[in-house]
Amino acid sequence: MQSFAARLHDALGPEVVRTEPEDLAVYAFDAYSEDRLPAAAIVPRDAREVAIGVRIARECDEAIVPRGAGTGLCGGAVPTRGGLVVSFARMNRLVELDVRNRRARVQPGLINLDLSTAIAGHGIFYAPDPSSQKISTIGGNVGTNAGGPHCLSYGTTTNHVLGIEYVDAEGAVHRTSIDDAGYDLTGVLVGSEGTLGIVTEVEVRLLKLPEAVRVCVAAFGDVESASEAVSAIIGAGIVPTALEIMDALITKAVEAHYHAGYPENAGAVLLVEIAGAHDDVASGEAALAAIARRHGALSWRAARSDAERAALWAARKGAAGAMGRIAPNYYIQDACVPRTRLPQVMHAIDAIARDHRLAVGNVFHAGDGNLHPLLVFDRRDARQVQAVIDAGTDILRTCIEMGGTISGEHGIGYEKRETLSLVFSTDDLAAMGKVREVFDPARAFNPDKIFPTGAMCGEVGARNGVREGTPA
Amino acid sequence: MIAKLPRARRTKLDAYALGALLPSRLLEPVDAEQAAAVLRAAHDAGEAVVVYGGGTLQRSSNAPSRYDIVLSTKRLTALYDYDPRDLTIGIGAGMTVATLNAALAEHGQFIPLDVPFPSRATVGGTLAAGWAGPRRAAYGRARDLLIGATVALADGTLVKTGGMVVKNVTGYDMGKLYVGSHGTLGAIVRANFKLLPAPATRRMAIAPFDEELRARAVAHAGALALEPVVLLAVDGFREAVPPARSRLIALLEGSEPVVERATRELRSALGAAGVAETRLLDGPDATRAFQSLLDAYAGIESDDSVTFVARGLPSDAALRAQHVRAALPRAETIADLRTGDVIVRVRDTSGAGSNDTAVPSIDRVVRRLLGRATVVCAGSTARVDAWGEPPSTIATMRELKTAFDPRGVLAPGRFAGGI
Repeated sequence: MQSFAARLHDALGPEVVRTEPEDLAVYAFDAYSEDRLPAAAIVPRDAREVAIGVRIARECDEAIVPRGAGTGLCGGAVPTRGGLVVSFARMNRLVELDVRNRRARVQPGLINLDLSTAIAGHGIFYAPDPSSQKISTIGGNVGTNAGGPHCLSYGTTTNHVLGIEYVDAEGAVHRTSIDDAGYDLTGVLVGSEGTLGIVTEVEVRLLKLPEAVRVCVAAFGDVESASEAVSAIIGAGIVPTALEIMDALITKAVEAHYHAGYPENAGAVLLVEIAGAHDDVASGEAALAAIARRHGALSWRAARSDAERAALWAARKGAAGAMGRIAPNYYIQDACVPRTRLPQVMHAIDAIARDHRLAVGNVFHAGDGNLHPLLVFDRRDARQVQAVIDAGTDILRTCIEMGGTISGEHGIGYEKRETLSLVFSTDDLAAMGKVREVFDPARAFNPDKIFPTGAMCGEVGARNGVREGTPA
Repeated sequence: MIAKLPRARRTKLDAYALGALLPSRLLEPVDAEQAAAVLRAAHDAGEAVVVYGGGTLQRSSNAPSRYDIVLSTKRLTALYDYDPRDLTIGIGAGMTVATLNAALAEHGQFIPLDVPFPSRATVGGTLAAGWAGPRRAAYGRARDLLIGATVALADGTLVKTGGMVVKNVTGYDMGKLYVGSHGTLGAIVRANFKLLPAPATRRMAIAPFDEELRARAVAHAGALALEPVVLLAVDGFREAVPPARSRLIALLEGSEPVVERATRELRSALGAAGVAETRLLDGPDATRAFQSLLDAYAGIESDDSVTFVARGLPSDAALRAQHVRAALPRAETIADLRTGDVIVRVRDTSGAGSNDTAVPSIDRVVRRLLGRATVVCAGSTARVDAWGEPPSTIATMRELKTAFDPRGVLAPGRFAGGI
């Protein structure tokens, strides 16, 4: 019988198939610390080639791991069992744009920002905007139900996916639509981290660009008071399009790198975006500024030009990368709490970092209660590595105690699968397991992801890992 | 535990008839654990259970093939978790939408569930039926606003999904599976939603038009810079918003200056299309009119009336509706110019119990005209299949049903493809 590699070569040819170790190295890792070389990778041009790859992998009993840009922080794209990596680098086209009905069909390898750039001239945009949007792909975003700063008013990826084309575990191609009769398979596939099927096309919902946009920056003495202001804004029934906080450490790193105009000496910075009709944007800014001042804002400033606005956003979205300037390594946690608990949870995170003798930076989607504490460490120091692992777990436990959860937008992947059982009971997980069993009974799609070991038989034990300082 | 539940007299059971079947027991659990116990007992006894909220959308799925127990959610009305400053709420599935709306209105918040008959419709039923109302183009669907749920599965296991946070990627998004599953995978006993701040101003604009102006009126109203949250071309449905003529109905929501500007833009666009009169309703009048319109979606006009909804593209909705009226002169239609829905109300004149196979049933006729269309409601003598041809992914759906409910306890035969 032919080898796995030989069968792939025969069926798909050298254009599509990679089997040399030096070619496979790029498919071994994502932004998480673990890596493993796959046995083979394919870079298919269409769903048919994906399906062929899936069928051959299944016949050879190899695992199948889909891969977008590899920006995931939780090891979701790491081929932990070798097997086949399906890279969507070539399936990156905008297939069809329907401006009038604000819909587009796109291939999964299309870069998030490229979609919005391509359609901006029509007065429409694609709302989910993870900080990685310059490199991360729509397919990867679908896998993790990615968020981003603008989720606050527009919702996450799942709210913008109208239908999906996917290859199932038998190598058959299917199409779903949220308007189909029957179960909402589209909704289940989004956020399933490549464990239920391989997405080969996505129909997305597009939104009309707002008439006016204003971005404002407020300086605060500390993160707690900025968080109080955010809780008060939401509590007052105002939902701007974005409400982001950066603490002093992050703001300094960002300004050193980007010179975007953030107040460098502030204890915390609140970035606010208001969008909508002209009349609402002006009155909205006044209302927000008043609340911010009541909660201790030291300054409030609106960006004066589109360029300034863009610079503020570019710096915010590049915050994690900018940390690379001041930290040998860092570890970003992702968790979410009810918005009234923000001040409390920020206080607790600070205490946890101090307990573990670690420096912590905070850059987060405050309006959604979605935290990203960033723990700074030196990976050459074993004590610090262990401290980061322990502090990360403490932070997740604290968020759960406050009624929150262990991932707002990055997903569970490989890293957090053991922590999933802190949030869900065995019964809750068993219900998810039934879905997995239906779509992929052999667990060939992205094994070792999401489910805790022991939740499903046949999964091997996990190791704790810490990722290196890779831009988020 | 199950023995302690109040049981209804048989006369009361008549109200829960579905198709030709009457259940033998009505059980009204007071909490999630009791609801789960009902299912566990039914599962062990091999009995069939239909989960029942307010019953307003029960005709949007087929009659069950077996039917022993009604599991009414009417006592599951707890308010578990509502801190208005979080803009989230957790409630029992049996709470009516009207009660929920009232609780939120006190704090200037809302959730755009847009259901017919909100004083009877329950939150759980709204989710289970996958109801998606006309404001969804502006605010999202119930599926998009649900952030967590507790569900009693067919074997009596209680499971939760999601939580009380607005962003959550923690395992599979199981809530999506239960929403729209018409009670075939589990009984939703608790639901958590994210909420929205209520718009300060609401206004309804009603513009009757003559037939020759239809195309221009629709085109002009559909191209406004400040888009109405709802924009419909309504033909018939005289009980909803008068006059009984063909009319455009727009719902404007937002701050007062924006609603004022939107009104001017709408009037001027319609004026340019030759539509002379635009009547305005404000505040509570607009709210009442909008509700009467929503009630019409699921209003049973006569024993043989059937209402369908066909999803589609906004750009096609008006033409598709026109196509239906041309083929079926007595059909009433609503073309939803923002969501693309076409609502069709017709009468099933094939006659109750008719076995004349030469007359195609009304659901076939409507589906021939509109493609996929599902039933919203139907009178007692109308004979229609709620679903039509199942989608191509039906095999996976059947396997999901088998995995979640291997003994066919929950609403057997009611769902798409006979699930």
